[in-house]
Amino acid sequence: MADQAIAKADARSTAQGRFIHFVNVIGIYFAALLFVLLGFALQAAGVITNFASAQNFLNIVDNVAMLGIVAVGMSFVTYSGSMADMSVPTTMALSGIVAVQFLKVGFWPAIAAAFAVGLVIGLVNAVVVGRFKANPIIWTLAINYVCMGIIRVVWVNKQIYPDMIASTKDVSQAFDAIYRLEVVKGLGGNPLASLRLPLVMMVAIVIIGQIVLSRTSFGAQLKLTGSARKAAKFTGVNVELITGAAFIVAAITATLGGLTVTSLSRVGAYYNGAGYDFRAVTAIVIGGMSLSGGRGSIIGVLGGVLIIGLINNIMTLIGIPTLSQDMIRGAIFITVVGINAKSLRSLGRDDA
Amino acid sequence: MTTHKKLDRSGALSWVDHNRIYLIFVVALLVMTAFAPKFFNVFNLTTISKTAAMNACVAIGFTIVMICGHLDLSIGTVITLAGVVGLGLKKYVGYEISVPLALCSGALVGLVNGLLVTKVKISSFIVTLGTMTILQGLIYQITGGNSIALSTPDAFSVADFLGHRLIPLVTPRVLITLVLVLLFQFLLSSTRWGRNFYMVGGNKSTAWLGGIEADRQIVVAFVLSGLLAATGGVFFAMESSAATRNMGDNSLMYVLSATIIGGTAMSGGKGGVFRSFVAILALEIIYDGIILFGLGNEVKIFLAGFILAVVVLYEAYASYRHDRVVGQRSELLAELSAAGRGNRSTDAASSRG
Repeated sequence: MADQAIAKADARSTAQGRFIHFVNVIGIYFAALLFVLLGFALQAAGVITNFASAQNFLNIVDNVAMLGIVAVGMSFVTYSGSMADMSVPTTMALSGIVAVQFLKVGFWPAIAAAFAVGLVIGLVNAVVVGRFKANPIIWTLAINYVCMGIIRVVWVNKQIYPDMIASTKDVSQAFDAIYRLEVVKGLGGNPLASLRLPLVMMVAIVIIGQIVLSRTSFGAQLKLTGSARKAAKFTGVNVELITGAAFIVAAITATLGGLTVTSLSRVGAYYNGAGYDFRAVTAIVIGGMSLSGGRGSIIGVLGGVLIIGLINNIMTLIGIPTLSQDMIRGAIFITVVGINAKSLRSLGRDDA
Repeated sequence: MTTHKKLDRSGALSWVDHNRIYLIFVVALLVMTAFAPKFFNVFNLTTISKTAAMNACVAIGFTIVMICGHLDLSIGTVITLAGVVGLGLKKYVGYEISVPLALCSGALVGLVNGLLVTKVKISSFIVTLGTMTILQGLIYQITGGNSIALSTPDAFSVADFLGHRLIPLVTPRVLITLVLVLLFQFLLSSTRWGRNFYMVGGNKSTAWLGGIEADRQIVVAFVLSGLLAATGGVFFAMESSAATRNMGDNSLMYVLSATIIGGTAMSGGKGGVFRSFVAILALEIIYDGIILFGLGNEVKIFLAGFILAVVVLYEAYASYRHDRVVGQRSELLAELSAAGRGNRSTDAASSRG
């Protein structure tokens, strides 16, 4: 009897959990829809032009593709309960600049070198945060500064250009193509609209990420580690390994993002990737992933990324300077976290 | 006997660890005096104390927040904000009003941080990351991306006053910092109000049972952090008669390293303002030496990050080691292994016999 009652309560709580989860995810896309409507309203009022066009919507997703790639990787770190990987900006910059340097040898060696750099940073973070339990924020900040120092010392404040370093023109063109390669040309009969590689990569990574988090044992272990580390440990989950693995995933996606950013700007420099830490955390938080770990989904994070893209697009169309947009982004960020914390508390689901 | 000796050794080690920042300071000073060219003279040492003054001031508040178990990432932008407000408003209202306004702006940022952390219960890392971003946008909005430079005679006379040498190594700005460091060291170590910060950081529920309003204490810590960061920023800007859009950008790294090297625990409840101050001085000596060796600013930035990483790693490794041996009684283990060895030798003897 008692067992049955418990089982029933259990089933109901998971059903309720699923419902809340569903509402969370839908809510994010609902918010995105509101921003789209805001854009339409502003255009109708004559404040902005060119919002409601297929080209503009393609631009929006195109502009956040790199952020999406980076944010999916970082959300593994958040999901596993380590808050955020603050070493992402210089992981991007360092892997990008190393790739440009190795274009001297060839295209594929450059890509390999970039991933080697990313993996080393990921491994270092994995060992120190996973095994030695260093404070993840402070440690990854420190690694961020170290990588910044490495770039500054090795390249002495110089920027390096792919077309000047590459051995042949083909190699530099191949590197340029990381951002510019058109996977599907002339979308919907429009010769200007095309599906480019970053967007395809982002969609692939989102799908893989979502499957890994929700359908594999690795994802389940991440969830358990993130929501109840001690329980995970006593259940036999290797929490040190799982925590570390999340950082390696984040470093790999940061490397991908870094390669794309460097290919976009056609320059290897220390400031590539600046600001991606804050933007990724914002996307993760808006996407409904709890910063205390173990709650949220990659589909939600994708929603967060799209909302950021919409906000950026509308602000740019209104004519707010890029750096002043930070003010609004920061305010939205804090508001969303506040509402999130408050609603979770009122639901009694806040274990932060 | 042996266990007693062992305890003594670990006692000495922990003494070294506890006072490591003073040892690092002395070693850095000695090494640079011995090897760095043109290091040990009044002019260069005054340069060091002047350079350290801003970050030392900022480190006071940062340390208090960290003692409470929180993190304030916004200090870098508060420094810049205070400089921009203090200098930008000078031509309208003069320093008498613009400087208090700059300090108030810092305190206000701290108040917002503190309230969001305690009332809305958002992690301090997230809150201050958010306010940092907002302030970056705000500063850009105010300055339009340009530096604010004052070139009026009265601004220069204030700058000259703040930078002139009262006694060797000490200028009025350094004196302000010194007074603040000593004041807050006294408050934190010798008053109940100050000790409460340690209680809150060490164990919040114990603090609550002890009748401390933890939330209020945390808000006060954040306000102090904002206020002191603004103090450091505005006086630095006044002395250089200029506020640039990125004057505080590197401070977070320097102050964070110094606070952790100074022995303030990342988890809260442990540390001291004076230690952070000595750590700022020690780091500044090292950076100054690097420049004197002709190694350039890049090496300085690299080393600053590297030192921070090494210290964080050391702290994490130490607590990892501690977690592994905690609860183990070394004297019993020693006895056991000694007994084991004894048994084995008697076994060997008997089998041989």
